[in-house]
Amino acid sequence: MAHGHLVAEDALTMERQWKLPDRGTVGIVFLIVTESVLFSMFVIAYLIYLNKSLVGPYPKDVLELPILASICLLSSSGAIVFAEHALKHNRLGSFKLWWAVTILLGAYFLWATAVEWRKLIFEDHLTIATNLFGTTFYSLVGLHASHVIVGLIFLTIVFVLTLLGFPIQTQLRRVLFLSWYWHFVDAVWVIVFTVVYIIGLPR
Amino acid sequence: MTDELHHGEAGERSEGAHIQLPAPTFWPMVFAFGLTLLFAGLVTHWAVGVVGFVITFRAALGWWHNVIPHEEHEEVPIEPELRPAPILVETRSVVRLRAGEQGHRQRVPEEVHPYSAGLWGGLIGGAVMAALACLYGLFAQHSIWYPVNLLAGVVIPGMGSATLEQLRAFNGLAFIAALVGHICISGLMGIVYAVMLPMFPKYAPFWAGILMPLFWSGLVATTLNVIDPAMNGRINWLWFVICQLAFGLVGGYFIARSTSIKTMQSWTLAERAFVEAPGVRPVREDEEK
Amino acid sequence: MAAIDYPLQRPKAEPGEFSFSETLYKWVATVDHKRLGLMYVASALIFLIVAGIMATVMRVQLMFPNGHVVGPDTFNRLFTMHGTSMVFLVGMPMVAGFANYLVPLMIGARDMAFPRLNSFGFWIFLLGGLLLYYSYLGGGGLSGDGSAPDVGWFAYAPLTERGFSRGHSSDYWALGVLVSGFGSIASAINVIATTFCMRCPGMTLKRMPMFVWVMLIDSWLIVVALPPLSAAQVMLLLDRYLGANFFNTQNGGSAVLWQHYFWIFGHPEVYILIFPAFAILSEVIPIFSRKPLFGRPAMVAAVVAIGFISLGVWAHHMFAVGMTSWSNTFFAASSMLVGIPTGIKIFNWTATMYGGRLRFTTALLFCCGFLFQFLLAGLTGIMLAVAPFDWQLHDSYFVVAHFHFTLVGGLVFGLFAGMYYWFPKAIGKMLDETLGKWHFWLFCIGFNLTFIPLHFAGMLGMPRRIYTYAPGRGWELWNFVATIGVFFQIAGILFFIYNVLRSTLRGQPATDDPWDGWTLEWATSSPPPEYNFEKLPVVRSSRPLWDLKHPQDPDWKWE
Ligand SMILES: [Cu+2]
Repeated sequence: MAHGHLVAEDALTMERQWKLPDRGTVGIVFLIVTESVLFSMFVIAYLIYLNKSLVGPYPKDVLELPILASICLLSSSGAIVFAEHALKHNRLGSFKLWWAVTILLGAYFLWATAVEWRKLIFEDHLTIATNLFGTTFYSLVGLHASHVIVGLIFLTIVFVLTLLGFPIQTQLRRVLFLSWYWHFVDAVWVIVFTVVYIIGLPR
Repeated sequence: MTDELHHGEAGERSEGAHIQLPAPTFWPMVFAFGLTLLFAGLVTHWAVGVVGFVITFRAALGWWHNVIPHEEHEEVPIEPELRPAPILVETRSVVRLRAGEQGHRQRVPEEVHPYSAGLWGGLIGGAVMAALACLYGLFAQHSIWYPVNLLAGVVIPGMGSATLEQLRAFNGLAFIAALVGHICISGLMGIVYAVMLPMFPKYAPFWAGILMPLFWSGLVATTLNVIDPAMNGRINWLWFVICQLAFGLVGGYFIARSTSIKTMQSWTLAERAFVEAPGVRPVREDEEK
Repeated sequence: MAAIDYPLQRPKAEPGEFSFSETLYKWVATVDHKRLGLMYVASALIFLIVAGIMATVMRVQLMFPNGHVVGPDTFNRLFTMHGTSMVFLVGMPMVAGFANYLVPLMIGARDMAFPRLNSFGFWIFLLGGLLLYYSYLGGGGLSGDGSAPDVGWFAYAPLTERGFSRGHSSDYWALGVLVSGFGSIASAINVIATTFCMRCPGMTLKRMPMFVWVMLIDSWLIVVALPPLSAAQVMLLLDRYLGANFFNTQNGGSAVLWQHYFWIFGHPEVYILIFPAFAILSEVIPIFSRKPLFGRPAMVAAVVAIGFISLGVWAHHMFAVGMTSWSNTFFAASSMLVGIPTGIKIFNWTATMYGGRLRFTTALLFCCGFLFQFLLAGLTGIMLAVAPFDWQLHDSYFVVAHFHFTLVGGLVFGLFAGMYYWFPKAIGKMLDETLGKWHFWLFCIGFNLTFIPLHFAGMLGMPRRIYTYAPGRGWELWNFVATIGVFFQIAGILFFIYNVLRSTLRGQPATDDPWDGWTLEWATSSPPPEYNFEKLPVVRSSRPLWDLKHPQDPDWKWE
């Protein structure tokens, strides 16, 4: 009796032409999708509760535009692109430089947030329990800041490994994914900034 | 970098007797355990959370060690005794039906009865029905005009208040009204039969002859007090149903006897559009021979 | 690069030479999708039995008016844990388990895209579930009277706020579900990446088995629908631990926000849960009808449509809270809209069976049960989508009967069909068909005996979640019959358990392709070797095995 084989004669040609997306790319894209939904829930909560606080302080009393911090965070996205580019062309020195710049810009942003929160808590007496503004503000900005922290931890690990002489150019793919995550964190900040500091602050 | 192959880690990388698979590791499990403890710290004691953090941290290191610089693999021996049985070619041969072939039913029905057969069947059935109804009139009211007058009540409003005597007597107007009405309805129902018969299962005339009259009787029974109050008060439902069944069986029989014609629905679009060009029409089995 | 890589070479091992600790290590440290899939299904079955016992206790309590089996507090905990377990610890791991086991086999891959993430996903689901059950010991916190959550499976805030839910029971609910949710997200992303990136040569999206298509859309739904629940749970925890005001009405917070967030997750969730059954039916019915799936493109389109429409219907669970009539109208209309693709699926399964050469194996029997029961569930669903009708029957036993018809009559029947179908592949032994038929008929009769009467009890006004009721309202008969049905179901499940154990230990060995299948999982041995395929297969149609078995009439000529 005859029997067939799953691997046909033209299998080799078929296999050679067979191209599929990279699994890391797909994974990180859908991680970003699910994170975006998470963020949008907090954004919606912020918008729903806008101007619904029963007691002060209200946004217009206490919020100041974090212009410098925002510029820093957004430009860190550019810095990481340069770093990536340098790594692709195997220029390790330039990579280290731009990577450090990215980390510093991100760290400054985090520092600025910390300073802002200290002012809000100790001078303006706005805590998460004070009113709806406090609740939504701290949770939305805090959620974003926690993502910045996670990003910074990973960035730092890469930096330290590089300094220790680890051949980081072999990990180009993973560095790329990390940079995508960082871009995502920055993009979220654009939305958070718009919602909290532009829509939420009537002029 | 081998792990950049598009097949992922466990792709085609068998070298002779071994196949590379991702190596087993318990660190993801430990990581999950630490993370759960970290959250459990919120509901139990902060110390639990601290332990959870430590475990999570250690497990993260372990996990990283597993994938950096390179994902760990294991060479799994190919076991010849685990080879699947060969896939056998089925000896029964398969013939694929094509549009337009005999027996390829795309839509039911494939063949229909001509409308003329429906019309004639309806008229013959109507005649039998009328005869039965008159017979009933003769038995029950000693007058064949009784059912005729009742039927005329559909269009002649005065019939509702007619006495029994008037109903038994011949009434020319009522006769013509009843005759025209009966012929029209019988003919139309016959055409409906002709359309519907091919859609019934086996013994179509029988099923159609039983089911259709029953449905029709049900419809009449629910609406009769609106359209013909005279009849509604005096009707004998048993005889009514018997007459309907007679119509159904006789009409169905005559329609089914007619030679049926093929619908074009199993033809291809080009064929139905009567496009005449080589290759448009599929070559059918019988023509190949 | 290759120089750094020293793969471990595993020596050839004779079966039976593993010690207990080695076997344990093999299972605990495994990253093999088949082992993880089996562990998912096994733990889901254990949770199913636990939650089923809870349901039994509740039904016994409600068998007669003024029941005295459990008190009101225990009853509240029972229905909360029953619902939460069935959805998050039975339904979700069943999704992950079936997808894990079958997707790589069906697309001709050797493992999932992220094998370690896969292992993490399983363990965090299991540990999250155990954390939830630990609440029976630690739920009351340090105040002593520890017990489980008692706020219902959708845990409406503000009733879960600190002021209304003392102790830690609601925290356990939020944390346990949140933690096991990480596992669901992880496995969903993994399934998506696997289907996109691990298909064997020739396996285009068009040729992908229907099962894989449905699981792909299912994972998409998990990825976009689970975060709203996680967000709401994080907000709840912020409220409870840090005194935030998301759901604190005293401070301006909304009493409806939780409901919106929960049901933005909750409605897609019911599709997430039913999709594995859709996936299984789409494989089992064609095989036992000896016909390819009817209207395959329409089936794919329908499942994709559900994947999007079901994201916009959530507020049909909230008609009774008093939304604007525009919202009511919108959500009623969109809910009915989602019935269209679902109807397409029912029609296509039926059309697949129509004119087929049916083999009524246990698997196909369960599929038939599904078709009838899920249709009924869909019809009551359309009824409940009509807002005024819903006002009348909201939170009544009619609703309970409706969703048990979808989830038991639909999902569980589908899962059983899948288990009878793929058990030979996974274990290498056939499940006994005679015992299987006992299982089917007892379970089917018992299920209908339990849940058909509950429709009537609901229409007579019996509210859900009451722990007892006074006689004389016309509910006695329905409740009595419903509880009788439970015993039939238990008998059916006992037949199933006995069948699984007996067949595993000394069942008839399965051939590699016992059902004359068409998809790739039947091209490997039963059970498959760790590497699934010695050589990665190459396919040219959506039924690669058909092509091999019928070389004179392969599918690829026609696709
Ligand atoms: Cu819903």
